[in-house]
Order: sequence, then structure tokens, then C-alpha cells
Amino acid sequence: MTEFLQALILGLLIGGVYALLAAGLTLIFGVMNVINIAHGAFLILAAFITWSLWREIGMDPLLAIVAVTPLMFAFGWLLYNLTIRPIRRAPPAASVLLTFGLALFLEGIMGVIWGNTSHSVRPSYADERFQIGELFLPKAQVFGGLVAIVVLASLYLVLTRSWLGRAIRASAVNPQGAELVGVNVASVAALTFAIGVASSGAGGAIASVLYPFLPGSHYQWIARLLGIIVLGGMGSLPGAVIGALCLGVAELMTVTYIGPEWATGVPYVFVFIVLLLRPQGILGTRLRQDVATA
Amino acid sequence: MTDAGATTVAEGTLTGGGASPSSSPSKALRSPWTALIAAAVLLVAVYPVLSDDLYYQNMIILSMVFAIGAVGLNIITGYAGYISLGQGAFLGLGAYTVGICVNDIGGSPWVWVPVAGLLAGAVAAVLGVVAMRARGHSFVILTIAFLFLVQLLATNWDELTNGTGGITLPIPTWSAEYQYWPFYYVLMGLLAVSLLVSWWIRRNKFGMGLIAIREDEDKAATVGVTTPTYKILAFVASAVFVGMAGGVYGYYISFIDPLGMFNILLSVQIILSLLLGGRATLWGPVLGAFMIEWLNETSNNEFGGGNARLLIFGGLLALVVLFLPGGIIPTASHWIERWRGRGKAGLAGERLSGIDLRERTAAPPPAPAVSGTPLLEVKDLEMRFGGVRAVDGASLTVPEGSITALIGPNGSGKTTIFNLIGGTMTPDAGEVWFDGRRIDGKPPWRRAHLGLGRTFQITRLFGEMTVLENVVAPLREFHLGLLGANAVSGPEARRAEELLEFVGMRKYRDVRASALSYGQQKLVELAQILMLDPKLIMLDEPAGGINPTLIERIGEMIRELNSRGKTFLIVEHNMPFVLGLCNPVLVLARGQTIASGTPDEVQRDPHVLDAYLGEDFRLEQPVGA
Repeated sequence: MTEFLQALILGLLIGGVYALLAAGLTLIFGVMNVINIAHGAFLILAAFITWSLWREIGMDPLLAIVAVTPLMFAFGWLLYNLTIRPIRRAPPAASVLLTFGLALFLEGIMGVIWGNTSHSVRPSYADERFQIGELFLPKAQVFGGLVAIVVLASLYLVLTRSWLGRAIRASAVNPQGAELVGVNVASVAALTFAIGVASSGAGGAIASVLYPFLPGSHYQWIARLLGIIVLGGMGSLPGAVIGALCLGVAELMTVTYIGPEWATGVPYVFVFIVLLLRPQGILGTRLRQDVATA
Repeated sequence: MTDAGATTVAEGTLTGGGASPSSSPSKALRSPWTALIAAAVLLVAVYPVLSDDLYYQNMIILSMVFAIGAVGLNIITGYAGYISLGQGAFLGLGAYTVGICVNDIGGSPWVWVPVAGLLAGAVAAVLGVVAMRARGHSFVILTIAFLFLVQLLATNWDELTNGTGGITLPIPTWSAEYQYWPFYYVLMGLLAVSLLVSWWIRRNKFGMGLIAIREDEDKAATVGVTTPTYKILAFVASAVFVGMAGGVYGYYISFIDPLGMFNILLSVQIILSLLLGGRATLWGPVLGAFMIEWLNETSNNEFGGGNARLLIFGGLLALVVLFLPGGIIPTASHWIERWRGRGKAGLAGERLSGIDLRERTAAPPPAPAVSGTPLLEVKDLEMRFGGVRAVDGASLTVPEGSITALIGPNGSGKTTIFNLIGGTMTPDAGEVWFDGRRIDGKPPWRRAHLGLGRTFQITRLFGEMTVLENVVAPLREFHLGLLGANAVSGPEARRAEELLEFVGMRKYRDVRASALSYGQQKLVELAQILMLDPKLIMLDEPAGGINPTLIERIGEMIRELNSRGKTFLIVEHNMPFVLGLCNPVLVLARGQTIASGTPDEVQRDPHVLDAYLGEDFRLEQPVGA
């Protein structure tokens, strides 16, 4: 029972971090119909920047979020305007291939800068843990999970309470309509992409404390995040949160009861099951096809 | 679609003449290309005999492995438009099949190569079943998940695969004098067979259906293309030879491990080959594979591989998508065609209502006998979108042999009813009966096979296909023989030409559909559904947005088809057209049928005047009356 409870709590905490990372991916998909395969590479990049900040000037990795997030925001905005904007009107396949190319390129750059060895960020509390009754909860995971939830909540507030948030949601639901009521859909798309990348920055900083990483880790991360948004329903923010919590718990349960070597397989199994049983995911919606394809 | 089309306009010229067999530019182009290709094939064929340089022999062998991969990928990605990032997994599956069978069962690795192909095909079929309902993006995600899943299985299933330790294959037993010849020529044979299959698919009805799926999957389903089956078959066809090539590849490099065999960079190399050479062309994937493998060797030898390879592949992938989306061969032939075609007037600018349209207008055919039996019956149909009741208990009947009209104000649910009858949407409640069978719940292609054909309010032709290909693509019934039927010449193509003749569009048979005017597209769309030989033809605003002469001509065609036994259901706002042509007329308002009867009855009905026509409605002179 203790074992189960421990796996459940740790799974939910990890799930919070996944939720933050998947939120950016699903937001970009919802607004732009772009599957950003480079999302995993962005978060590994953020993890490396966090590592450097921690290593060079001793900055706490969770505090580094304050620096890494705006940096990644700027990076995302620039990258959008340089690469994705030109293919806005191309068939959707183009953006998948483009972001896949970007992911490989970033992997190569990170390999050149930081080397292809495993890195991990180890702040002072890395080996400490809270003991509650018979439960042992690593401090890094507790802090990381809580910070992720705070960042995710503020992202949610921006999306629901601000003009920008309404503009983003309007662009997602009906781009032509949004344009008619004065939303500049093109620049909203740039901001959305930048916000998505920024959230992967915050999430990457947190992830750097939780898992060791190397440039090639981005494949595993993107597979995980894609599994989450397929499960939750692509483009749905609440869906991403639900999917992330499910995946976090399922991974921890797999580690506890089946074996850690199979944990990476969980998201792939998710994808297969969801596409077989409910292709639109948990919170996916049915669209009027004549409007959607006209 | 239209902008992207410009770069792939001439793809037919290099697909073995598949797309435009008789257009003059393609004939003129074919000879130099054929000579070039023949020379290249010959050179590759005799190279090992002429030179004993193992470096280049190795490079050609690897190029051919990736070429087979890219030719296979082309079937699902180039023709059917589904991007797969996991194509490399089939190479790995093939290699593992051969490795495991040789070590656990014995025999020569060659014996197991066909088994590797079968296994890859079987796995692809299973994957295809999973992907059956997945569209675009979900499919991409599925292929990534698939690649990583098999890699994980190969890593963790120690008993079968020896995990990360890998599998070593026996060293070839033939004399060193023959160098890598057996690998070389077996791969060359495999490449030739996969090219033949690719060429054949591009020319048959199956291939037309795949391209139709790429262009507009929902529309393809309404013209009888059984999209799930097509996709599964395409996926199997794209995997079998890759699995076999993987088997040979495993034997050739003699060591198989999860990291090497399921490396995502193998998939990247295959995709890059296809994109660079040119999607949906015959030789593009081969050209691309040879270029990319050369680049791969260079990056390994000159720049130390590793990160350099990532930078080169990743950067090139991004650059190709941004600056050469069509690939080398389509872009090059587009340039050549433009250069050759300077100064020549295009067909697209000609007037449509030419002589061939007027020939058959001599005498209007006699009105057909309308039998009392209903061909189509809709009972209490309901469809909600969120809170909007688009169709709210509508019932209607279309008598066999009639030209029935469905009129009503905008937003009254006409097009939604069409979609529910045609099967692109599923009703929330109610029944649809067609020709004595209940069809709601049946997929769109089943309804098409039963004899239901429909056009769309805004024409939905397959823009990248020629007019002829658009008309050949529909499938009347599903059987494998028909899928393999030649779509470029032979009975199917002749039938399509006759139908094009009927609608007066034969001259345009080799023009890309997206280059046609709106009115021309309407005519081609009519010919397209006539290919289904439908019992009931449903036209969604046939007279909308086209000129009066053409409206008249369409009216004549409807009468003529009707006299040959076709029943019509027509949605239209042009009242003179409707009232002169149709009987009975059904009136829809707020999702319900509020009136039905002869044109005379309907235009006097006070409910109809109130809801739709307006009180001052008076029809001066019905068209054609």
C-alpha cells in the first residue's frame, strides 16, 4: 500500500511537470495546427542552459526558471519568424518535417556545445527527502512538481484572463473570425509559439533536476509529450493536464511493478491504445466537417 | 493547395508517363530523361565488374538500401500523403528477422530475406489497422511511437534479441574474389522490383485512390474509395521490400543491435532521400537516396560523423522544406516545362461552352416515367452542432426516376442533410433508407458502391490530379482486380473519357484540376460521380456561381441523364432553374421539411412564401419550359 501510495504521489508530481511541458505543445498545435517535434529539443536546450547557470554561477535550477523562460521566449519568437512563418500556408506535413529537422539540428548544436555525455543538475537538496509517515518523497521532485503547477496556473490565467489569451483562443477556434474582429492572427501565432517554447523553458529547467539528460534525450521527451497530447485530445489544454497526470502515474506504476526498463514504453502504448479506441483523445472534440474543411 | 501545386505540376512526366500519357510536353521530355536513366542504371549495373574499389561498392550498396526504403516510403507518403517518421523501423525489423532466424533456426541468411519482407508487411498491416482512423498528425505520431516501441522491444526482450548485446551474423562463405557482389545484385534486384511496383501503383486505380486520399480524404470516401483498406494496403506495400532490404542490410553489415538498427537517423535518411529527390515521382527517391548516402559518407569521413551528421541532416531537412518543397525532379521538370512552353497559350483560358457542348442539345429528351417507389427515404433525421439543431426531425422521400429538388433558406440544413445522406456525417437520430436498405451507419464508400453519388457545394476536386485522373479515381465496387486495373489506358480510362466527352470537358483531360475555372470544376465533378454509375445523383447547388449558358447546359445534362434512368436530388437557390426542372420540390426550413409537391403547388404554398420565397415571389418563365 505504501509502495502504491508513493508511486501515486510521485507520479502526480512528475505529471505536473509533464503537464507544463505538454501545455506548450498542445497550445502550439491548437492555434497553429503545427506538431512541434522540436519541443523535446527545446526543453533539453533549456535544461542545458540551466545546467550552465548552476555550474558557472551556482544559480539554483528552480530559480533559474526566471532567466531561462524569457530567454526561451525570445528564442521561440525568433525561430518562429525565421522558419515557421514562411510555411504557414504550406500543407501541415511541412511543419512536421521542418520542426523535426530543427530538432536534429538543435541536437547537433547541443552536442557541439555541451558534449554528448549525460548531464544532471544537482542542487544542495538533490539527495534530501521529506518523510511523511512511511512515505519518502525526494525534495527535488516535490519542489519541481509544485513550481510546475505554479507556472502552469499562471499560464492558464494568462490564457483565460488576458486580452492576449482571448486572442490566442479566438485564433485557435476560428482564425478568419478572429481576424475580422481585429486580432492580428499572424502575430498572435508568433506569440503563441514563443509562449509554448517559453513553457518548455520553464519545464526544461525543472526537468534538469529530475532526470539526467544528454542532447539525444529529446526523442524520449517528445515521444512522452506526444503520447500525452494524443491521450488528452490534441489542442486541448485541460486534456494535456489530464493526459500528463495519467502518464506520470502510469510511468511510476510501471517502474514500481513491472520494471524501470519498460517505463519509456508507456507513452508509446498510450498512443496505440488511444488511436485504436478513441482517436480524438479524452477531451477531443467533433468538428463540423463542412466548415472545417471548406 | 493551389500555391503548393505549382512546384509539382509536372510530376507526371517523370512517373513513367503515368500522369499525362498523351500530353505533348511529357512525350518530348521523356526521351532525354529515359536515356539519362538508362545510362545511370547501366553504370550501376556494371560498376562492380569494372572496378574493384570497395569504398564505392559499399557506398552504392548502402545507397540502394536507402533507395528501397525511400521508394517504399513514397507509396505511403508521396502518393497517399501520410508522413511516416518510422520507415527505418522496417529495415530494422527485416534485419532482426534474418539475424534471429539464422541464429535460432539455421540456414543461409538469403533464405530468410523473403520472410523478413513478409514479417515487415504483416507488422505494417497491424500498424495500418491502428492507424485506420488516424488522420494526418496522429499518423505521424503513431509512426514515431512505433519506431521507439520496436527499439524498446529489441533492447529489452533479451531472450529473443540478445538486448543491447546485439546479434552477429555469419560471415559470407563465397570467395573473396566476388567481393560484395551478391549483396550488390540482390539489392539491385529488390530496388528494381520495388520501382516496378511503384510504377504500377501510380498507373492503376489503387494509386489514383491513394492520391485522391492525399488530396482530400473525405471527398475520396464519397466517391467510393474505401480509405481504410487503401491506407492499410499502401502501408503494407511500403514496408515489404524495405523489410527484405533490411534483411540483406543486416547480413551485409553482419552485426545487428537496437541502437544501430532502429536509429531514428536511418528514418531521417530515408525521408530526406524522398523529399530531396521528389515526392510522388518514380525516380526521385532513388536520386535522393544516392545523394544523401554520399552526403552521409562525406559527413562521416570529413567531419567525424556524430554531431556533424545531425547538423547536416537536420539543417538539410529544414532547408528542403523551406526552399525546395517539391524536391529536385518535380522542380526541375517544372522549369523545363515552363521553358519549353513559353509563348504557347494554355487550354485553361479557352471558352468552355464550345461546339462540343452544343451538339447534343438538339431536342430535349422526353420526361421520364416517375415510378411511385421511393429510391431514397429519410425519416426523422436529427443533427445537432453544440446547441444548434441544424437538422431537426426532417423527413423526405425521393421517388425513383424523379428529379427532386430540396430548397430552403440558408442555414435550413440542406447541406447537412446531404452530408448525412452521403455519410460524411453521422446523424444523432433518424434513419436513411436507400434502394431498400438502411444506410445510415454505413461508411461513405459503401453508400457510393450502393449507387449514391454526390457533388459538393464548393467543388472538391483532387487539385493535383489531372482531369482524367479525377474521373478515373472513383471506385464503383471494391474488389482487388478493380484496384489493379489500369487507370491510364484500358476500359476504365476509356469510360472516363466518354464521361468527360458527355460533360464537354474532354479537351481538358490532362489539365490539372486546380487550374480549371469554377464552372469547369463543376462539370468535372459531375463526370467524376457518373463514374460510379450511381442510381441517385445528389447535386449541391449545381447552378451556383456559374454563368447562365452553363446553367442551361447543366439543366440539359440533368434531363438527359434522367431520361437514361438516373434519379436526382438537387439543392439549389436558383428558383427558375429548380422550378423548371424538378418535380417534386421539397422545402426545408429550420431543419424540417415544411412542404412538398409539384413546383406549382410549392410556389403557392403560404408557408413556403413566408419561410423562403417571399410574398412577392412570381416566376416569370421557367428555364427550358
